[in-house]
Amino acid sequence: MALEKELETYTEKLPELKAHEGKFVLIHGDDVVEVFTSYEDAIKQGYARFKLEPFLVKRISSIEQVQFISRFVDPCSLGPAT
Amino acid sequence: MPYFTLQLTAQGPMMVAFVGVSEARRAALLSVGQAVPQPIQIRALVDTGATGTCVDPTVLQTLGLTPTGSVQVNTPSTGPNPHSADLYDVSIAIPGALQTHSPLIMENIPVLCADLLAAQGFHALVGRDILSLCLLCYDGLRGTFTLAY
Repeated sequence: MALEKELETYTEKLPELKAHEGKFVLIHGDDVVEVFTSYEDAIKQGYARFKLEPFLVKRISSIEQVQFISRFVDPCSLGPAT
Repeated sequence: MPYFTLQLTAQGPMMVAFVGVSEARRAALLSVGQAVPQPIQIRALVDTGATGTCVDPTVLQTLGLTPTGSVQVNTPSTGPNPHSADLYDVSIAIPGALQTHSPLIMENIPVLCADLLAAQGFHALVGRDILSLCLLCYDGLRGTFTLAY
């Protein structure tokens, strides 16, 4: 699974991150880099700092939000970049 | 307020869109001397039943993307329990009806990778994340829809 380490870090740090509910956290490996008000600022900072290395931008939510798609589609992941 | 009106198709409110790498990724690619993939023209269906915008994996693969997000998703294919899915940052441009109309552009937007779209005749679902920036009028009597932004 992609971003496995970053997602583990998010889960571990969620009790502290809850103070920033609704904002966007930038995580690289096991480092919580910074919290941003907007997705756009977080993704820009992620690429500016880590270039093409893996990093995670995630909206902080004490109760994990679920996206709904009523059409029949299959959520998927891309294979490794070639 | 720019807008366009299009005929409804048999599949519903369909339009042309261009999907490319996000502006943030574009800057990163250039900074490490890599080529920036050209945006890809696709057919996109407006779908008020989708919380977020979804793009077919063939499009995301062509752009050479890697995930930068993760979300729980519930669809008819996942059954009652939501599944974890990757999010990819892209740019999306929806052209106006006339060349004088400015396009609707999202420079950095997270989208879900969703298979089985191409099999249904299009490559993206325009979800309520994008629609939250627009006024959508569905005129069933005239067989048209209008998107203002």
